[in-house]
Amino acid sequence: MLLNFNTLGSWKWFLIAVTTLTSAFLLLPILFIAALSFGSSQWLIFPPPSWTLKWYEALFADPRWLESAWTSFRIALIVTVLSVLIGLVASFGLVRGTFMGRGALRALFMTPMILPVVVLAVALYAFFLKVGLAGTTTGFVIAHLVVALPFSILALTGALEGFDKSIEDAAVLCGASPLKARVLITLPCISHGLFSAAIFSFLTSWDEVVLAIFMASPTLQTLPVKIWATLRQDLTPVIAAASTLLILITLILMLLAAALKKGLKA
Amino acid sequence: MTPFLEIRNIRKEYGPVVAVHDVTLNVGRGEFMTFLGPSGSGKSTTLYILAGFDQPTRGDIQLEGKTILDTPSHQRNIGMVFQRYTLFPHLSVGENVAFPLKVRGWSKADITERVRKMLSLVRLEGFEDRKPAQMSGGQQQRVALARALAYDPPVLLMDEPLSALDKKLREEIQYEIRRIHQQTEVTILYVTHDQEEALRLSDRISVFSKGVIDQIGTGEELYSNPSTRFVAEFIGDSDFIPCQVLATRNGRADVALGNDLTVLDIPLHGKAEAKANVELMLRPERISLSTKAGDRALAAKVEDITFLGNNIHVAARIGDRTPVSVRVPFGHEALSGVERGTPVWLSFDADAAHVFSA
Repeated sequence: MLLNFNTLGSWKWFLIAVTTLTSAFLLLPILFIAALSFGSSQWLIFPPPSWTLKWYEALFADPRWLESAWTSFRIALIVTVLSVLIGLVASFGLVRGTFMGRGALRALFMTPMILPVVVLAVALYAFFLKVGLAGTTTGFVIAHLVVALPFSILALTGALEGFDKSIEDAAVLCGASPLKARVLITLPCISHGLFSAAIFSFLTSWDEVVLAIFMASPTLQTLPVKIWATLRQDLTPVIAAASTLLILITLILMLLAAALKKGLKA
Repeated sequence: MTPFLEIRNIRKEYGPVVAVHDVTLNVGRGEFMTFLGPSGSGKSTTLYILAGFDQPTRGDIQLEGKTILDTPSHQRNIGMVFQRYTLFPHLSVGENVAFPLKVRGWSKADITERVRKMLSLVRLEGFEDRKPAQMSGGQQQRVALARALAYDPPVLLMDEPLSALDKKLREEIQYEIRRIHQQTEVTILYVTHDQEEALRLSDRISVFSKGVIDQIGTGEELYSNPSTRFVAEFIGDSDFIPCQVLATRNGRADVALGNDLTVLDIPLHGKAEAKANVELMLRPERISLSTKAGDRALAAKVEDITFLGNNIHVAARIGDRTPVSVRVPFGHEALSGVERGTPVWLSFDADAAHVFSA
């Protein structure tokens, strides 16, 4: 190898320091929030004078927190299903199609990733006000679908491009109709892409806050919106508890994705 | 009697490009027919039209007197082995072979029995529970063959199935394919660009060039009587020596090589008038070499001698210009005293020569 870690001499310590600092920079806020959620101080004093679970008790005792968590989960789930389905159909078109302007269409599908989210939010909000979708679950789902779809399409076009179409052709010649061949053979072969698409779609919706603030109504709030709204009223460690749970679920999903990926490879 | 499989004037155009140029071909029941040609010659396109993955611009394909073109691929009941490994990676070997039978709604007992029978046909008994990824390329192609034959298709298509394998393994599986063909009596259409493979396997060979079939025949026919220069070059080795037509009659010609050698009554392919410049095709193994001058021989100079095991390849040049190869069995007396630069005289059998219009 060109750069051998063990022969770097004093550079080695420099690299170790940079890596440690970067990791700390990325991870400390999360640890900080988690620590505060178990701290007894009402004023979020760090380090916490003593440890308690009372903020979690308060969190679970308040139906509005649970309701917003459920809203987040429900919306993320619908977004996931739709994003994977639409992404799958779109990816088949983009990868297998021979029509003109495929490249341009592909770029267009990616624009929500590049476009400032707040611009998208304002545009969608103005439009939804007009058609009466503001503050509805449908409005939420559509808004989150716009930002989740690029991830889904990215994962699925990648998986489809890596899949040898001859395998599907072989299934068709074996007597399976083209649809049957895709369902029985192609989909299992690109399952890693389907899982990636699903998990990224879910997470995109689950922790999305900008669009959600615009889409929310007093009766329909996702967890990130509830955290944001509560934060503006008063600073309570319950927010830290809610944030910790949010991170925990995200973490579980990421680990699940990694485990599935490993399982699929084996 | 109508032929078993009839390809009639199949033409395939991709925009302005004609990939297959009015190909017509009959295949008998149980015949092993090979499409031989370089890449881009239209052989694979013809095969894909047979499979139904491509529609011809015009023409017809009939199986036992009935057109198959309006039947979609999955209902054509045709078997196919692909160039790339196409086993379903998430299914075991047994499930792969069972797939076409499941789709056809066979009973579980029948499927189990047939899978065992097919795996024994390709000599992979007991491999039912393996995953494709745990098998070698050769084994995977044998499973693919078992899967394609499991439902007794009337026609089996094979699209360069051995091109990803190394030479030794390729020969081994060629032998297996021959055995399986004899055992099952299935009609096989086989695409390859490897002439040796075509000669080893086929009953008849169709030589494709630029979207046209140049010639159809047994390997021997193609070798001993090539109808075009392309076939002469593609089947066996050959050299072409410029010469001039003296006279023609009934598809045969007398030609003059240089000023001092005339050869009479050689098969002429293509059109040529007297005085036209044409080419004489010679096979390296049908030329004899001598260090003694002869009046019915071509003077040449040896440029290189290569030892090829059971025979010796002599590269010579006629009159500073035309290269010609001679193949002499190892240890042959004609080679004593021959080395680089030695002047030699080449004589050939007129029966093995052909004249092609330039």
